[in-house]
Amino acid sequence: MAGELHQIERIDTGDATPIASLIEQQLNARELGVGQRAMMFAHGYGCDQNMWRYVAPAFEQDFRTILFDYIGAGGSDLGAYDAQKYASLSGYADDVVALGRAMDVRDGVFVGHSVSAMIGLIAARRAPELFSALVLVGPSPCYIDDADYVGGFSRDQILELLEFLDSNHMGWSQAMAPVIMGNSERPELAEELTGSFCRTDPEVAKQFARTTFLSDTRAELGEVDARVLILQCRDDVIAPPSVGEYVRNAIPGSELVHLNATGHCPNLSSPVETIAAIKAFV
Amino acid sequence: MPMPSDAMNYETLFDKAPCGYVLADKDGRIVRSNQTFLAWTGHVGDEILGKRFSDLLPIGGKIFYETHFAPSLHMQGNFSEVALDIVGRDGSKIQVLANAALLPASDDGPAVIHFAIFRAAERRMYEKGLLEARDKAEEAIKSERADSELREQFIAVLGHDLRNPLASITSGVHMLGKESLSERGNKVVGLMMGSVVRASALIDNVLDFARGRLGGGITLARSSKPLEPALRQVVSELRSVSPGRTITAHYEIDEPIDCDHTRIGQLLSNLLGNALTHGAKDLPVQVDAKRTEHDLVIAVTNGGKPIPAKALERLFQPFFRGNERLQHGLGLGLHIASEIARAHGGTLVARSDKIATTFILTMPIAQANK
Repeated sequence: MAGELHQIERIDTGDATPIASLIEQQLNARELGVGQRAMMFAHGYGCDQNMWRYVAPAFEQDFRTILFDYIGAGGSDLGAYDAQKYASLSGYADDVVALGRAMDVRDGVFVGHSVSAMIGLIAARRAPELFSALVLVGPSPCYIDDADYVGGFSRDQILELLEFLDSNHMGWSQAMAPVIMGNSERPELAEELTGSFCRTDPEVAKQFARTTFLSDTRAELGEVDARVLILQCRDDVIAPPSVGEYVRNAIPGSELVHLNATGHCPNLSSPVETIAAIKAFV
Repeated sequence: MPMPSDAMNYETLFDKAPCGYVLADKDGRIVRSNQTFLAWTGHVGDEILGKRFSDLLPIGGKIFYETHFAPSLHMQGNFSEVALDIVGRDGSKIQVLANAALLPASDDGPAVIHFAIFRAAERRMYEKGLLEARDKAEEAIKSERADSELREQFIAVLGHDLRNPLASITSGVHMLGKESLSERGNKVVGLMMGSVVRASALIDNVLDFARGRLGGGITLARSSKPLEPALRQVVSELRSVSPGRTITAHYEIDEPIDCDHTRIGQLLSNLLGNALTHGAKDLPVQVDAKRTEHDLVIAVTNGGKPIPAKALERLFQPFFRGNERLQHGLGLGLHIASEIARAHGGTLVARSDKIATTFILTMPIAQANK
């Protein structure tokens, strides 16, 4: 109870910012930056908004940067989780659209990592007025090989992943201990004590994995109003280069940039290169 | 304290440590591993150099590593207690727990990721057992709940269906009672009426018990009105079906009482039924209902053999039927009565000695009248 009260207090007394809308609160949205045009950063599976910590600040001078956590990740409102809604990427895209509208985004830039690239594309189709530029970092419209299409994984491998997540304590950081949550006099204590990024509820993590890795959104590719940049890493086992090329070919007018960065998270491993590529595009 | 010279040797400390060590560059490419790790996995040192740490993981672990492990490691500098399978050289899976720390680039060299690997087959097996047990328990609860729901519906339907024919029998018996019958006929009608009243009370109790057990609890429909008429009706009902028995009643309730009047009537009916069944047949049963300063007190007293101390303790438990073989009812009456008392914030206690046995309801009314 004390914790709840404190939260309300914080919202009421927070600088000059108006009271956040429900969707902003649920998605733990943060608005930074002094620019006019909005730039929304969306994290991928297994992480939270912290994964943009080395990239987003570079755009605060020129943009109004928006960061958020999907429901179930980071500081989002777990109570708003709805297994049925989030069984498809469409449910996540609805949240992006709702957040964009609540935060008055028009002709903004959407930067989506991993599964968020496809979520952003769906959102952009649904509400074309929100974003005039999409940056897709390591996108994959389908992780499973299908006839000529090479997603990088066989169906069995993905099922193995899901089974693995089901049967293992994978080190997902649990939600904060209630004792710490209840410390209304020093709420910052909770932050300090856990010091843990990418907190994800283990149950949600399992379901998000299912939604993500079984998704097939190839039908969402094709002509899109916004300009599209695809950032492709080397040695990315999640989204191999052939997939990046597939996406480029499937979105007319899109631009594909190969990064020197290796792995699946250039925003963390090579933020400078990532920033430069996004700046050159916008 | 003197130390064996080997222990001072950091190379040995690294290579022979009772855990596996793997060092990798910041992209996760293995630059070194210790002998323990190689011995566990069967890998050959040269062969795994330059491979990515995630290459040693099966597909599930690999995706987890890329999407959660590595990002967390990069952001917070360490990541601990992760359950992983490592694929050995022969393809076998070695169950481990892994801790990782990212040491940033310094004058000594570029950034390095340190992995400490602990075998955890036993522990993982234990965890798996726990998980399976939890899943089974959840399954069992689910099916138990479904059963309960079915039972509740069954009992509700049964109760409803039993009440209808019982109501017909009741009005039939009433009609017969108004006819001019032989003495024998009148006696039979009286007995039938008694059975009808008892059957109807049984149905009420069974339904309440089922509801209470299945989470519904005793629900109250409170109102503030005089209680005496409801009590009088119960007494006269039981009088009429207990020929040859004396029931004396004494009421001192001048104000309306805020309670569920039907429920308090049911409570009195259960207590009175109990007293008539178990009390000495030649002694009167006495009902005293009064309002004290703070409480409503209803006492039902009968004479006869005392209830043994042992039995007194368990009197209000469901299905308790004392030691007697020949018994009326299911043994729910007193249980339901005590539940009704509890729902009203009151208590029901029993006292028993050689002279008399008394059940006393004490229910706060100051609170109830608020």
